[in-house]
Amino acid sequence: MIPLQWLIGICVVVGAVCALWRARRWFRGQPAKVDFVRGLMRYPRSYFVDLHHIVARDPYTARMHMMVAGGFTAALLLTLAVHLFNIDSRVLAWLLLVFLALMGVGAAFVAMRRSPKRARLSAGGFSRLPWSLFAFAAAFFLATLPKAGLVASFAALSVPGIVVLLLAAWGCAEMVAFLPLGPMKHSFAGAMHLICHPRFARLGAARPDSGLKPLDLSAPKLGVETPADFKWNQLLGFDACVQCGRCEVVCPAFAAELPLNPKKLIQDLARAVDPGGNDLAYAGSSYPGRSVGHAHGGPSQPIIGDGAMIHPDTLWSCTTCRACVQECPMMIEHVDAIIDLRRFQALEKGAVPGKAPLVLAELRATDTQSGAALASRLDWAADLSLPLISTKGECDVLLWLGEGAFDLRNQRTLRALVRLMRHAKIDFAVLGEEELDTGDLARRLGDEATFQDLAKRNAATLAKYRFRRIVTADPHVFHSLRNEYPAFGARHEVLHHTMLLDELMTNGALPKTKAQPTKTTYHDPCYLGRYNGEIRAPRAILDAIGVERVEMERSGMRSMCCGGGGGAPVTDIAGKKRIPDVRMEQARETGAAVVAVACPNCAVMLEGVVGPRPEIFDVAELLLQAVEAA
Amino acid sequence: MGQYDALLKPLRIKNLTIRNRVMSTSHAPGYARDGQVTDRYIRYHEEKAKGGVGLTQFGGATATSIENSIDYGQLNGADDSIIAGYRRMADAIHRHGAACMVQIRHGGRRERWDIANWLPVYAPSAMREPVHRSFPAAMDAHDIKRVQNDYVQAARRARDGGLDGVEVSCANQTLIDQFWSPDVNHRSDKYGGSLENRMRFGLEILEGARKAVGVDFVMGIRMSGDEMIKQGLSQDDCIAIARAYVKSGLIDFVSVIAAQGRDYRSNAISYVGMDAPPAAHLHLASAIKAEIDLPVFHALRITDPATANRALEEGHVDMVGMTRALISDPHFVNKLREGRDDDIRQCVGAVYCIDRVLQAKDALCIQNPSTSREGALPHNVAKAPRKRRVVVVGAGVAGLEAARVSAERGHEVVLFEREAQTGGQVNLATKVAWRESLSGIPRWLDDQVRKLDVDLRLSAAPTADQVRAEKPDVVVIATGGRPNPGHFKGAELATTTWDILSGRVAPAERVLLVDDHGADQAPSVGEFMAERGAQVEIVTPERQILSEVGMINFSAYLRRLYARGVVITPDTGVVEVYREGNTLVAVLRNEFTLQEEERVVDQVVAEHGTLPNDELYQALRPHSSNDGEIDMRALVDGKVQAIRHNPEAVFQLFRVGDAWTSRNIHAAIYDSLRLCKDL
Repeated sequence: MIPLQWLIGICVVVGAVCALWRARRWFRGQPAKVDFVRGLMRYPRSYFVDLHHIVARDPYTARMHMMVAGGFTAALLLTLAVHLFNIDSRVLAWLLLVFLALMGVGAAFVAMRRSPKRARLSAGGFSRLPWSLFAFAAAFFLATLPKAGLVASFAALSVPGIVVLLLAAWGCAEMVAFLPLGPMKHSFAGAMHLICHPRFARLGAARPDSGLKPLDLSAPKLGVETPADFKWNQLLGFDACVQCGRCEVVCPAFAAELPLNPKKLIQDLARAVDPGGNDLAYAGSSYPGRSVGHAHGGPSQPIIGDGAMIHPDTLWSCTTCRACVQECPMMIEHVDAIIDLRRFQALEKGAVPGKAPLVLAELRATDTQSGAALASRLDWAADLSLPLISTKGECDVLLWLGEGAFDLRNQRTLRALVRLMRHAKIDFAVLGEEELDTGDLARRLGDEATFQDLAKRNAATLAKYRFRRIVTADPHVFHSLRNEYPAFGARHEVLHHTMLLDELMTNGALPKTKAQPTKTTYHDPCYLGRYNGEIRAPRAILDAIGVERVEMERSGMRSMCCGGGGGAPVTDIAGKKRIPDVRMEQARETGAAVVAVACPNCAVMLEGVVGPRPEIFDVAELLLQAVEAA
Repeated sequence: MGQYDALLKPLRIKNLTIRNRVMSTSHAPGYARDGQVTDRYIRYHEEKAKGGVGLTQFGGATATSIENSIDYGQLNGADDSIIAGYRRMADAIHRHGAACMVQIRHGGRRERWDIANWLPVYAPSAMREPVHRSFPAAMDAHDIKRVQNDYVQAARRARDGGLDGVEVSCANQTLIDQFWSPDVNHRSDKYGGSLENRMRFGLEILEGARKAVGVDFVMGIRMSGDEMIKQGLSQDDCIAIARAYVKSGLIDFVSVIAAQGRDYRSNAISYVGMDAPPAAHLHLASAIKAEIDLPVFHALRITDPATANRALEEGHVDMVGMTRALISDPHFVNKLREGRDDDIRQCVGAVYCIDRVLQAKDALCIQNPSTSREGALPHNVAKAPRKRRVVVVGAGVAGLEAARVSAERGHEVVLFEREAQTGGQVNLATKVAWRESLSGIPRWLDDQVRKLDVDLRLSAAPTADQVRAEKPDVVVIATGGRPNPGHFKGAELATTTWDILSGRVAPAERVLLVDDHGADQAPSVGEFMAERGAQVEIVTPERQILSEVGMINFSAYLRRLYARGVVITPDTGVVEVYREGNTLVAVLRNEFTLQEEERVVDQVVAEHGTLPNDELYQALRPHSSNDGEIDMRALVDGKVQAIRHNPEAVFQLFRVGDAWTSRNIHAAIYDSLRLCKDL
């Protein structure tokens, strides 16, 4: 079987060359601090624990992947031993047969998964993949039979010999020689990505590593304009995409048919690295409302633009909800890429769409999103006489009111929260005029300069006072203060109001409540759940006040966005539907009479849904009702 | 920014923070007894505070002096016995985060001498006042001193009573503005003559009061922006006065009204009703605001949040008085804050409240019977302990309210209406152009009933069997009435007022309109016909038409009737109507001489109230457990209806509104609310 030996040998060499060829394109990116040794050492845990945890959410795929990947990896090593190095061992041959059989069964699962055709799975090379897997398994299964002593050996030029050689050629081409270029690229790039992950801290972290990193505003170019402006390991991440479409399924913008599909976005970013890059070979769902074939790019060509690789509408359709990041089995960081691209659009081009420029201008001029006077943040509370920390000097809880204090809807939530804190005799105070917008919105819109300006000034204010912790009813504020302000020197314990209220209920600081038997479903805010992992406290409160709690199909860490994040309400990219309408439909399906929310944006987005629908109440409002009913 | 930001913005005056810009201005609803604060009066204002209002001013026209007649159920602030009442009022209002102030005033010649202490009324000069028909004594120097001191003491009592401020009324012709007005002040001493002299009396009072209350206590004045009479204060005079009073540094706010109160017509302008557009006199407040640097308050037919917000946003005023809007819905502000603006029961401007006071009755809202009856009839209907099936027949205002309240109770409600739309008789009343806004009453009820998922069946007049087939636990008959031309001979020849308003019969050329009612109906129809070219004569056996209508509305009617050449013949009844050829002959008889005379006319239109549509009620009685009887004691005491004559029967039967007997809108809604809140 000399020809087979040669074939394997050549394929291994070609594979190595292709791998280098492929890796070359990653290094068109910017340098990044990567601890390769640490990544390598941690790799087994990253792969078998962190990554598997995500893959296992789809049990069919997990089993399929275990058989194919496990079978193939073992079979490849054994094939090299048995057929390349000709180690004559029946044990090895038998082992090889077992793993090839496993791989073959796995390949059948791969084929079955794609039939009937599913929209989220890409076609193209991926349609061929089950057959390539099968060819590889079959070729070496036949070739190994004689070595296991099950059949007499056959000549290379015999009919079985030629069949084996042809199947092996096909299998090895896909699975070894051109692995770094075809659909199997994900295994190679994916492994490298896990080792060199741009958010390495994410691996094994107790709660999501979701805070954005500060941008150096003195850099010659701000944000990402061309593929070459990305960090090299971000480019590597794009290459790891296996086009499974899990992101596409969970993307709220895609669901509402806004022109965004996170899978295609990552694919477009991956393809933009190549000179003359285009999306002609892309064989998955396109951006809703836009057909495939109009994307053109290159390593030093602008990524965003009409006729460029990605249309601006696609970029601005994202609500930064992180559902794609949460679902991605390759652990790609879609939202980081979006923000990097937005930073260039906002800071270098001033090309922020819709009403966003007005809101950013208000933020710069007035330190509020709505252009309200800072002093008017307490208007709603004139009859509550909220103590000012500037008068008190110190307090236990510093209540951060946020933009919601300017909004009639969310003033009700704040009113309820204040009354609950008073019931619990919390020593609290507010900043009053000293509270500026946290800058969260500016940051998600890419206006890092405005964010940093606000963050620095807020951090300086916070540094003046003594308090034990900050509480806010706004998950966006919560996220900023907790995860993004430490980079500006503001390190404080920050609680979302549901965390505080849960604590107060648990330690008996709140009065007794009367059971509220209303059928209620809880809508997780992205910035509380996915961004911060807090999905327990609000549910604990609802359970404690005795609502009949029902879950929507998508809830907790896998909840769906209301459409109110990432500045989407102000960039206002049109889709066929509205995201909150899509979400409300999911709430209606539970038959709940009340949708409990825990975010001012969610409250406004969901209350904006017209027609018969469940009532919207913040968890604090429901808790107060239960307290006052008792 | 929100839609109502301007309205919900706090206002700071000295150390007082008012939580929003919605206020109830001083008025006299007539709930005081013997000049003292009552529980009813407190609950009435407390409800507004509970409902989110920023500031409520009570004690409209609280008396300052011993000769004041307190003839409209006002407070008597002339001695220290009032302070305890102030404290109770202040505590109740402050408990809910609102601010409160009292208004004080001496009525001058606008008082009666024959009620309280039988002391003469006083004025700057001895000029008769037409509404109270008083002949005042001109004030001597010692009277001036005494009365000024009375004012000062009254202001001090407001502070001692724990209130947030005091308003010294210089409006609606109180003593201070009687001094201002050349119409009343013909003095030749230092209090008469030049404007500066005429302003002196009031300024001296404020000077003394400021000393008595201290610099921190909020004190303001209420004044007219234009007296709107030839011999009175012009708009320029009023602005000059406002500037001078503000310049004195003695006051903290100016509340602006229109016109004054010397006669019926003037009162009607001052308390604009449905005949005026929204915010009819806002320009007067705006003009004063442009000239002074103090907060300006103003109320007058600002009934909806959009108009109120605009008045603030455009800078016409600093506080919007929504006094009547808060009478029809004391929870106005909370509903705004809760995003439930559609649930606000908006004032329609019927002036039922004020007209009752001007008839020396207590103020009541034409459409909200809970107002001022908070003790017995809460504004929010509580859920019933068990769910029942309620069938209401008739969707006039009585039926709509019965359905609304029953649904709020948590019952399953079916509401039948014979016509294709709800509203019943009120729909007829709105046919007179200036009374169109009455349609707001059924519109709100209709909206609420639909929101509460009442099974509303329009164009459906059920038989007794059909009602029973619904398997009700309770049947409420609200089938209203039908027009009754009266009982004179030949009454069948008369056209009814309903025929005219509904357009079924066109007004003829010469019309005799017989008013045997005394309320709005006949005058409305008289105007309606005159407007369409008829020569109308209204005859009534009473001494006047509109006996049952108060000053604001009767002024509006009379202005229109006279302007359209309608002849009013009082003290005259109809004996007989007969046909003669193409015409009708009406035999009229003077009520006092019994002398008869005849009128040859083309049409006789007669108004004699309604007869109940009670056929369905009578047919259902034998099947009902209570034989259709209402336990009136239980109804009045707010207890459950428990009469059982027929133990086998499964449903209770009640009738409400004009199906019971001919009354008015308030009675119809009140019947339903107090019956159904205990079902």
